[in-house]
Amino acid sequence: MNSKRHNDTSALIVGGGVAGIVAALDLAETGRDVYLVEQGACLGGQVARLDKLYPTDHCAFCPLWTDIKKVQRHPKITVYCRSTVQAIAKEEGGYRALIGEKPNSIDEGLCVFCGRCREACPEDAVRPVGEHVYPPSYLIDPDTCTRCEDCITVCPTGAIDLDRSAVEISLLISEVIWATGFGEVDLSPLPEFGVGSHPDIMTSLEFEEWTAEAGLNRGKIVQKSTGEVPRAIAFIQCAGARDMRMLPYCSSVCCMHAIKQAQWVKRRNPEIACYIFYTDLRTVGRDYYEYSLRELRDSPIMLVRGRPGLIHPLPSTDAIAVKYENTETQKREIARFDMVVLNGNLRPSAVRTADGGHSIPSCSKEGFVDVKTDKISRFACGFTLEPADVAESSIQASSVAARVSIERKVKNRTHD
Amino acid sequence: MTDVRVYLCRCFSEVDRTVDLERIQERLLQNASVASSTIVDSLCLDSDIQRVAAEIKESGAERVVIAACSTMGRGDSVIEGLAEEGVDRFAIHLIDIREGCAWIHQDEPEGATFKAWNLIDMGVSLVAKKDRSDDVTIRVRPEVLIIGAGPAGLAAAVMVAKLGYTVHCLDRAAHPGGMLRFISRSYPNDEDAVLKLAPYLDEIHNNARIAFYPQARVETVTGFAGNFTVRFSSGGQERWIRPGAIIIATGAMVYLPHGLYRYGETQNIITQMELERRLQSESDSIQNAVFVQCVGARIPERPYCSTICCPASIKNAMRIVEKNPDARVSIVHRDIMMPGSILEDYYRRAMLQGVQFVRYRDDMLPAIKGYEQVRAVEVHDSITGTTRVLDADLVVLSTPLVPNPDNRYLADMLGLQCDRYGFFREIYPLHPLETRMEGIFICGSARWPVSSDQAIVQGEAAAMKVISLLGKGEVAASSFSRVPGQKFGHATVNPDRCTGCGNCVAVCPFDACTLQEIEEKYTYISRVNKMRCKACGNCVAVCLNGAMQVPEHNYRAVVEMIKRAF
Repeated sequence: MNSKRHNDTSALIVGGGVAGIVAALDLAETGRDVYLVEQGACLGGQVARLDKLYPTDHCAFCPLWTDIKKVQRHPKITVYCRSTVQAIAKEEGGYRALIGEKPNSIDEGLCVFCGRCREACPEDAVRPVGEHVYPPSYLIDPDTCTRCEDCITVCPTGAIDLDRSAVEISLLISEVIWATGFGEVDLSPLPEFGVGSHPDIMTSLEFEEWTAEAGLNRGKIVQKSTGEVPRAIAFIQCAGARDMRMLPYCSSVCCMHAIKQAQWVKRRNPEIACYIFYTDLRTVGRDYYEYSLRELRDSPIMLVRGRPGLIHPLPSTDAIAVKYENTETQKREIARFDMVVLNGNLRPSAVRTADGGHSIPSCSKEGFVDVKTDKISRFACGFTLEPADVAESSIQASSVAARVSIERKVKNRTHD
Repeated sequence: MTDVRVYLCRCFSEVDRTVDLERIQERLLQNASVASSTIVDSLCLDSDIQRVAAEIKESGAERVVIAACSTMGRGDSVIEGLAEEGVDRFAIHLIDIREGCAWIHQDEPEGATFKAWNLIDMGVSLVAKKDRSDDVTIRVRPEVLIIGAGPAGLAAAVMVAKLGYTVHCLDRAAHPGGMLRFISRSYPNDEDAVLKLAPYLDEIHNNARIAFYPQARVETVTGFAGNFTVRFSSGGQERWIRPGAIIIATGAMVYLPHGLYRYGETQNIITQMELERRLQSESDSIQNAVFVQCVGARIPERPYCSTICCPASIKNAMRIVEKNPDARVSIVHRDIMMPGSILEDYYRRAMLQGVQFVRYRDDMLPAIKGYEQVRAVEVHDSITGTTRVLDADLVVLSTPLVPNPDNRYLADMLGLQCDRYGFFREIYPLHPLETRMEGIFICGSARWPVSSDQAIVQGEAAAMKVISLLGKGEVAASSFSRVPGQKFGHATVNPDRCTGCGNCVAVCPFDACTLQEIEEKYTYISRVNKMRCKACGNCVAVCLNGAMQVPEHNYRAVVEMIKRAF
């Protein structure tokens, strides 16, 4: 077991998305030691999965990449990827955190991303760490790997060792910041969305990956089922959200996300008809409303106020039927679409470590970290605290970093 | 002639299976600057880096070109590794021949080889001829100027002071507190605004590190991140301070809807702010109230959503119902903007308390009925498709926040950008409080309309950004590069060639160039402030006499590169 030297101003940040990255940089810049724990294989969180950012339409990754690079180079920041917090307990001088780091059989420091292991692997167990990772490298999925060792033979740098085992790291820290972001909720308990009944019914993050410029289809909009260009795409807002059966809250980012996706579909192929089914078009934020106006004007996207009551594959065709009531005209209609994008099913992903029966951090019934009752930390930022987009997460992260800094000052004073 | 050593990396045959490195070697011999070229197996293993670094140092080569993978690949770590081994980072130039040549042109080995040779050849010319601009490090002033003492400015001031820095907080009003002083309660926690402000005001008045200047106006700002000089007047007195960083928290103003919905005609058509004041002072009960949303917002003249109006209306509607359970309160709205979990819950609570929500379409605006006294609001309910008449003895117009008119004045003075409405612009969403000028940060409604809670969060966040800058005690001009590890240098003036025409001053987007009078020659010459310059090269392009240069990309190097390329 590795044990790190105690530093009484060190902070543990759980989650390496935008919020975690910004908080880590801000704290490290003031001279604190920061441990950044990320459960995924690379930093960047959900934003790294996005193709474009609203409202600037910039590539999502480029600005993020600069900050990730700063994190990786910062002498005060230690990053643990593929790692989770297994336990946190109070100890004299702070908290003792146990971090479990899963191994990657491919040494990322040696991998030159030549791709020979991937070609050699008979089981398709080798895949890139991420679509945009700096520096790019591969990882081996331990579940599919059969340990045939073909990859070891072809690797030119000797980066592969299939016997690497998980590491446990014990850290003594003075503060914890929760920045665990969000994940998607499975919509199958809500039968009207028809999840799983048709390959072209997908969630918006799946759609983003499916149509990303750096992704599989190089920005082409095609159906998953047939590979053909769809004639019409439906974007269903508030899928699972603002819905007492699943998520009672508004996920806040999805309206803008859908407008962005619809207009990028239009930009890449103006022939495709785009419909957004919404409840309220919540364009709250800098330039968001203007962005939505611009996009709706430049590329005619149809806005329908209403929540579809049924989404179902049409028998004997590849199309999907969407049955809805347009609440502005009070007409009940059925429309035919080739693809359906479900938007809104975002839930905060908390750490949930069983710690003597209590889950940490303590959460509200909706799953947001409740900093008022949490026993470990009063600090959380990003979506795990309250639905937030990139700008909002970044602001919250800096603010939390400031509060953490004050905390230490106050503690020092009481010690004196 | 500068000697350049070239290293060509095979990358375990990733490169040379497409690009013919030996042919490149041959062709490079024609370039007189190339002292030697070596093909190596790989450059990213530590052992190779050490070997190459030793070779470079031993040979005494002044400049090195590494042709390997891109900076997005491992190229960066190669440079980093060589630098750690003691090779001057400035002397190394990286050319990407893997991703940009070998991989992308796999089907065209001939073209890939030509492109790689061309890039390397140009790189050799650049690295052989480039000069170094000197860096400068300054000590930062541990003082912060905060313009505006609303919730954002106060939160920033208190945070900066608690972290141990001196704060100068200015406000054009006589008292701190900003718009929060005119609000009865803040959403979503229904806190009394006076109680919410109290701890901040207490800190402002009692913390020795904070100086508050009422009735202030900023007159001039000069200097750069770490050391600004600010002249301002406060209460008729002129003052000078030298802060290391500036936070702009000038807030916003409420739009007065003259000419809309008969505002100003009768006493019972009021704005949200007027209602706030009424709720602050009176405990009278309002019987029938109708809130009209998006008055003057989300219209062609003002195509933005002001964020705070929906929650504010819901807050006040609930307050009216709370005081008088018999009251009938309706909110007439377009989209109801309550994003997130807290606000959505707030919205739901209002519905449960009996607040009525009626959705109207922007092409069928509500109309106010009644002559001298308002009697009702007629609205087309877009959800039921019917026209409804809502009894009203009070109509509250929910108007947006509009930018502070001083914003443009400040932006001109500080070199910042405003958007077309007049709110301050950030650099990009990932860095929402940073501006194009280093050391100047924006927060609160000066940036975009926000609630008091969000303003406080933003104020604290801006304080953190300031501390990150000032915390180290000193900053180098080169540290302001937004690309980590990259130093682009800064423009330098050749005083013998400068005629003081001022072209550079006119085009510099960062206000780094100034003209300085040379008395004995009766002329001016240009000076470049290194702390402000970002080496964009605009001044080089407009300089008539070639007096301006960015040494890292000087004329000789660039001309030579172009010659080599074509």
